[in-house]
Formats: sequence, C-alpha cells, structure tokens
Amino acid sequence: MEHSYLIIVFLLLGMMAATVPVFMSLFFGGVLGILFFSHYPMMLVVQSFFRSMDKFALVVVLFFILCGNIMTAGSIVKKLIKVANAVVGFLPGGLAMAGTIACGLFGAISGSTVATVVAIGGFMIPALIENGYEEKFSLGVMTSAPVLGIIIPPSISMILYSMVTNVSLEGLFLTGFVPGIMVIIGFSLYSYFHAKNKHYVTQPVPTFKELVAVFKEGFWSLMLPVVIFGGIYSGAFTANEAAVVASVYAFIVEIFIHKDMKFNDVKKVVVSSAVTSATLLIIVAGATTFGRYLTLQNIPAQLADAVTAHIHSPWVFLLAVNLMLLVVGMFMDVISATLLLTPVFIPMLYAFNIDLMHFGLLMTVNLGIGYITPPLGVSLYITGAMTNRDLIYVSKSVLPFILIQLVILAILSYVPVLVLYLPKVMGYIQ
Amino acid sequence: MIEKTLKTIDKVLTFFEDWTLFTTTMIALFTLFIEVVLRYGFNKSLGWPEELVREVIMYTTFIGCSAAVKNRSMVVIDALPQVVPRLKRPLTFVSHAFTLFFSVFIFYYGWLNAAMQVRTHQKTIILEIPIVFLFAFLPMMGAGMFLRTLHVIWEDLHPAVKEEKPKQPTDK
Repeated sequence: MEHSYLIIVFLLLGMMAATVPVFMSLFFGGVLGILFFSHYPMMLVVQSFFRSMDKFALVVVLFFILCGNIMTAGSIVKKLIKVANAVVGFLPGGLAMAGTIACGLFGAISGSTVATVVAIGGFMIPALIENGYEEKFSLGVMTSAPVLGIIIPPSISMILYSMVTNVSLEGLFLTGFVPGIMVIIGFSLYSYFHAKNKHYVTQPVPTFKELVAVFKEGFWSLMLPVVIFGGIYSGAFTANEAAVVASVYAFIVEIFIHKDMKFNDVKKVVVSSAVTSATLLIIVAGATTFGRYLTLQNIPAQLADAVTAHIHSPWVFLLAVNLMLLVVGMFMDVISATLLLTPVFIPMLYAFNIDLMHFGLLMTVNLGIGYITPPLGVSLYITGAMTNRDLIYVSKSVLPFILIQLVILAILSYVPVLVLYLPKVMGYIQ
Repeated sequence: MIEKTLKTIDKVLTFFEDWTLFTTTMIALFTLFIEVVLRYGFNKSLGWPEELVREVIMYTTFIGCSAAVKNRSMVVIDALPQVVPRLKRPLTFVSHAFTLFFSVFIFYYGWLNAAMQVRTHQKTIILEIPIVFLFAFLPMMGAGMFLRTLHVIWEDLHPAVKEEKPKQPTDK
C-alpha cells in the first residue's frame, strides 16, 4: 500500500485530538503501523520503547528541570529581576525591559518557557500594573518574553532536537544567543516606544551605591549562567553534566547562602521535577516507536522526494516549512512537534543543503511562537489564569509581540550567518 | 469500600513513588557531580556513574509516569475540548480507556521481556546489574498506571469525593 502511512497519520491525529496522552498516541500509532504494514515482532517494539530511555544525554532534561524548579522555589528569580531592574528600570518602559531581560537571564539557566512564565510573569505582571503600565501591555510583554526560556540556551527543545539529529548540543546551544538577544532588543524597543507614547512615569536612576548593593545581593544568582556556560565552553564539563553542576550549585545557593529553601522543600522539588521530566521523556519513548515505523516504511525519504519534486528553492522550502510549523505550533506542544517532525524533515534538509543547526534554531523559535498563539498557546492560559483574564483578552495583548517574533524569524531564516556565526567561531561547524 | 481500597492503594503507591523517585534522583545527581569533580579536579574518572545515571533515568521516567497519571499532568493536546466543551467529559473517558489499554499492553510485553532476560542472564556492562531488574520497570509502570487510572476514573465518576489537586504545569 503506497499511501498506507496516511491511515496511520490519520489515526495518530485522531488519538491526539481525542486527548489521548501524546506519548501514547505516538506509541499506538507506531504499534499499529508496524503490526499492519510490516512483520516486526512486538517484543522488539517494546524493547526499542524501553531502550530509548537508555541514553545518557537524557539526564540533561531531568536536571535542567530540577534546576529551574529549585530557582522558582527559592529566591534566585527575585534577585535576577532586581538586577535587571537596576540596570534598565530608569529608561522609558524600563520595567518592561527589566522583565524581558529577567526572562533572558532565567532562560540562560532554565530551559523551559512554562517555567519562565510562572517564575517571572508571576512577579512582573502585578509590578508593571502597579507602576502604571496598561494591563494589556503588561500581560502581552510578560506572556511573550518567556519564549526566551527555550531560545536562550539551555533549551529543552534544542536538547531533544540534538538527540534526534545527532548535531552537537554544545554547538546548537550557541545558535540561540544571537536570536535571544534579537528578541530582547525587539521587545525592549517596542516597550520603549510604547512607554514614550503613553507617557509612563519612569523610575529614578539608581545611584552607584544602590547598583553595587543590588549586584552584591544578586551575585550568586548571576554566577549560575556563568557556571553553566563557562563550564561547557571551557571544556570543564559537557552540556549534560552542566545540568548536574547547575542543580547542585542552585541547591547550595538556595539552602546555604540565600537560606530561602528548607531541607523539607528539597524532596517536594525533586519529586515534582522527576515527574515533570517523566512526562516529557516518555514522549521521546513514544516518538521512538513511531519513528521506528516511519523508518521501516522509509516514509521520510518518500516525503522528501515528494517535496523536492514540487519545491526547488531552499527559500521557498523554508517559507513553506515556517508556515507549516506556525500552524503546527498553534495546536501541538514544542516537545511533541520537535520529536515527531524532525525525523521527517532531516532528508529534506540534506536535499536543500540547509544546515541542521540552523534549522534546529528556526524550529525552536518558530514553535516557541506557538506558546502565545491561540487556541493552544500554553503561556496564554497560564497568564490568563494568573490574572483572571480570558483567552481572547490575553491573545489580543500578545499580537504586537507575535509580529516582532515573526520579523525576527524571517530574518533568522534568510540570514543564517546570524545563527551560525557563534558555532562557526567556536569550531562546531567546519 | 471501593473508595477506601483505592485510597489505601493511592497512599502506598504515593509513598513508594515519592521516596524512590527522590532517592534515585539524588543518588544520580550526587554521583554525577562527584564524577565531574574527580575528573576536573583530580584527573580521575569512575566510569560507573554514567551507567547508573542511565538506569536512574529509565526508572524515573517509567515510574514517574504512574505519578503523572495521578497528577493528571501527562502532556495532552486538548484543542477539541477547548473548542467544544461538551466533549470534555466523554473524551476524558476515552483517554482513560487508552491509558488502561496501554497499561495492560506494557505490563504484558514488559513481563515477557523481563522473563526473557531471566533466561538469558544478561547483565549491565560496568555495574553488572541483572538486566531483568531494569526490564521490570515496564510491568511496574503498567501496574502503577493501571491502578492510578482506576483511581482517577473513580474520581471522575464521583466528583464529590474528588480531592483538590493542583495540576502540575508541563512544558508545552
């Protein structure tokens, strides 16, 4: 059956639409495909499901989630916000800029957008409104800026992309810095002009003494990204081990230095991190089963042939893929979409000579926009719940920020040097 | 009677999951940290922490799924019930049915795989842990998820007895 895979894709989408957990939909999709269209023994299917977890690289997911949860439970987040506010808070729109920069700093430690929305948005939205910022603008900026959680490394979606494609994780992490800074600049410029236009009251310029005091208080929190990236790129430890070092560091800082976490809280934080990690990693296992079916049927190569027969230019291909991913991001979470679609795209990337690292970053930025696009933008729901606002109100508030991100995505798609410059300089790309 | 039994099972499972997840994660964290310190500071490597950590990841993922069923924190795409709220309840039960089927499936094939490891006496390379123990995570996962799903079905059928549980945010 030449198009038998369409039946399986239809079943897969049907299960997902019926709110069957994503990992189970992928698992059963793969099992049914293998059962009906190949002669692969079921024992081996379950073995590959099991063996997909036997990878050292997965440790990074568990421990970056743990690190993010420790910071949220303790006071590292508050101190990062204070530092950011001291640096730019006196400018027009400064408090919104501080929120954006704090998301960037938090993103440089955690790898998750959801964690960033909860951790930073929870503090910043009331603070912005109290300081006279419009509610709609406050919600918009603090719902959108947490996308930096997955753009600025470490990033859980980049980790999973690197596992599927076998590109260097350290190299892939480097692709995120310039786009992350572009998002911070874009959002900050918009905040500046919005604040000027609305005549918001600015905060007083901090004195040198105040600045020193804030930096002193935030020193241990600011050292966390330094430990992570200093360790990785000095060769002291790998990206996987960086997650472990960061978690131990965060524990020590919160328990012994800030003293904002009790030993009793440790068990709660560790167990909740292990469960959150399980809900993500089990999707890897489900995607492995589905991937086995795709490989047995040679479907990625067939799709690549079909696409290259109709599209001849890499520019048009990138445009089509970007549009497709934007639609996918509206309905599917970034982890599932990355694990499901990356194996399908790989042969096409080779056909169009598009760098795997470049595409990994584009996929992350693109699917990141899905966090703030209805009907299923998770960040919209979290902010809505935090502020008692409905989905339509929050969706309208993020519109200018979606436009900014789309412009940045277009620039990154067609100016790959912005993405690949750092990995090239650091020797991760020949 | 049923409620009491389910609550007892829930208590036992929660105690087991919480303590084993906590202990294994902390062991993995500190052994790997010590490995980094030894390698960077003393130019010495133990080797075995990497294998241990891989086993911990398997354990936390498969057993963590059982806890995730209890917390209702599995990643799902809930577009349809958002658009058509009337479908929310029937779809919840469809999802539960799939979870029960998956639990039985993974228990059965996990058991067969573990039994095969008993016959072949395979061990891990460095720590020489019999692989049957690792494959046993699958039937454990199946059993845990099955019992947890029965509990959440009971809660959904009897909303009055449903306890208030904060839903854990998962990374969309």
